[in-house]
Amino acid sequence: MSSAAADLSVMVLDRDGKGVREAVVTLVPAVPVAAPSPKAAVMDQRHKAFVPGVLAIAVGDSVEFPNNDSVSHQVYSFSPAKRFKLPLYKGEAHPPVTFDKPGLVVLGCNIHDAMVGYIYVTPAPYFGTTDAAGGFAVKDLPKGDYQLAVWSPYIADAPPSLTRVVHVEANESASVRMQLSLPLRARPEPRPRRRIWDY
Amino acid sequence: MDGDLDVRWVHASGEPSFMNGGLGLTRWDPEHEGIEVGRAFLAPNWRVTDIVSAHAVIDAYGDHDRNPVDLSELYVDIRPFPTNSIRWRARIGAFYMPVSLENRAVGWTDVYSITPSAINTWIGEEFRTIGTELEARWLGAPSGYLGDFALVGAAYGWNEPAGQLIAERGFALTDRPSTLFGDLGSPPMDFYHQIDHNPGYYGGFSWRHHDRLEVRALRYDNRADPAASTQSGFYAWRTRFSSAGARFEPGEHWTFIAQYLDGDTAIGAASDSMNPFEQQFYLTFHAAFALLSFEWAQDRLTARYDDFHTHQLSGPFGPRDQDGHAFTLDWTRELGAHWEFATEWLRVRSRFPPRALLGDPILDTDSQVQLALRYRFTLAW
Repeated sequence: MSSAAADLSVMVLDRDGKGVREAVVTLVPAVPVAAPSPKAAVMDQRHKAFVPGVLAIAVGDSVEFPNNDSVSHQVYSFSPAKRFKLPLYKGEAHPPVTFDKPGLVVLGCNIHDAMVGYIYVTPAPYFGTTDAAGGFAVKDLPKGDYQLAVWSPYIADAPPSLTRVVHVEANESASVRMQLSLPLRARPEPRPRRRIWDY
Repeated sequence: MDGDLDVRWVHASGEPSFMNGGLGLTRWDPEHEGIEVGRAFLAPNWRVTDIVSAHAVIDAYGDHDRNPVDLSELYVDIRPFPTNSIRWRARIGAFYMPVSLENRAVGWTDVYSITPSAINTWIGEEFRTIGTELEARWLGAPSGYLGDFALVGAAYGWNEPAGQLIAERGFALTDRPSTLFGDLGSPPMDFYHQIDHNPGYYGGFSWRHHDRLEVRALRYDNRADPAASTQSGFYAWRTRFSSAGARFEPGEHWTFIAQYLDGDTAIGAASDSMNPFEQQFYLTFHAAFALLSFEWAQDRLTARYDDFHTHQLSGPFGPRDQDGHAFTLDWTRELGAHWEFATEWLRVRSRFPPRALLGDPILDTDSQVQLALRYRFTLAW
């Protein structure tokens, strides 16, 4: 198994060649593989923002919301893939939420309107989000063909242009470079404002 | 619970303030300066259920109000979790209406300067919503738009003396709003009474774009019957105004705010008489300001220009026509998590003919320099 394994690195670049961070990369093999066992992921709350802003998880994974912020939050989503509400009061324990349907879950906070987070629940067996430089790497991939797709709430390019077929040979390091043609959409830049309560 | 203690050193020049029996337009005057209490307040809030919270603000201003400690706000906030892109929110109780773009901190405190604009000074003095407010906010984030748009409406009562202070004095610039059961000024005026049976309303909208721009507009009408009065001699003032403003924060440092308000107030039954004492007292007013603020590290610098006018069209004791403008300059420095130091220079120039009845010059320049030291705390309970 591992002797036929390969590495794949993906670079997602914007129109000007700069790396796009927090873009979800998924790889679906042509030959289906067993689903991975459920894992626990973390989406924190700091400075009235979700951290990370975009989180990719597998169907059946659970997400913990530890709320390391200085204030309480109330996370909710009404996305069809997962409708839930979760009060995150300071000093109280917060149970993790399990996401058992694929799809995009858009998170908000009932107390702080500017907070928005995204949980991308994917059936793909290989996935992750790009780092600050726009790169994502996966090791020990079985050789074969894969459908690669990139998604981000801030990418305006049409989804078909963000998918391609990638062939990975045994014991090789393959790389894919995906460059966007449309400008990125504005990313929220919540600024920690002192004392603001907002009437 | 949040709390604040604010102590000042004040140097003031100009006529006696309306707070002390004159018609000067600042909170302090040459007879009332030196070390003063700015404000002390407690702002407890409670979470009643996941979607219901309760809030109160209890104030002490250290002046000769009938209640040394009083309530300024007391209300319940209800926010069901959204099941679609519309977020509903209701407030029931006594609270400030969503007009000011300056007063953003707990207790309706001005974030940019010690003294708010003429518009928001007046809102804090004569207005409190005592009733129910409903807001429907379309949230853009689920659709990929980083912003939201809200419609707000309220029905309320007990705001029928609103208009008496602007008729008596015109606009002013102070950081001394009214409390629910207290009074303001000398001779003292109090504000929150229902005189006839008509509820008032306001309706407005707000648009927030990318956490950078906020636009607000609101139309207020207390629907009071200006011919109505109570046994104890309270008269109803029919007061209406429209207000619109915008706050632009393009980056981390700059803030620009502009706001405009105009409206009218009337008291007494309408009549065709040529005798001013038989006419309805009718006053129109308008005001505007522009503010620029720069924040970096622990400091904030703010500059603001205010322009304001009132015009009496009929009725006795006139002409109660005010024309004025003001310059405000503030520097605020945060000293750690709890302490804040602020200094403000304020100069208000105004013309108001009724001053002659007090033997004061009609043209008045009220200047104030203040140094404020504030201690803020938050207790979790």
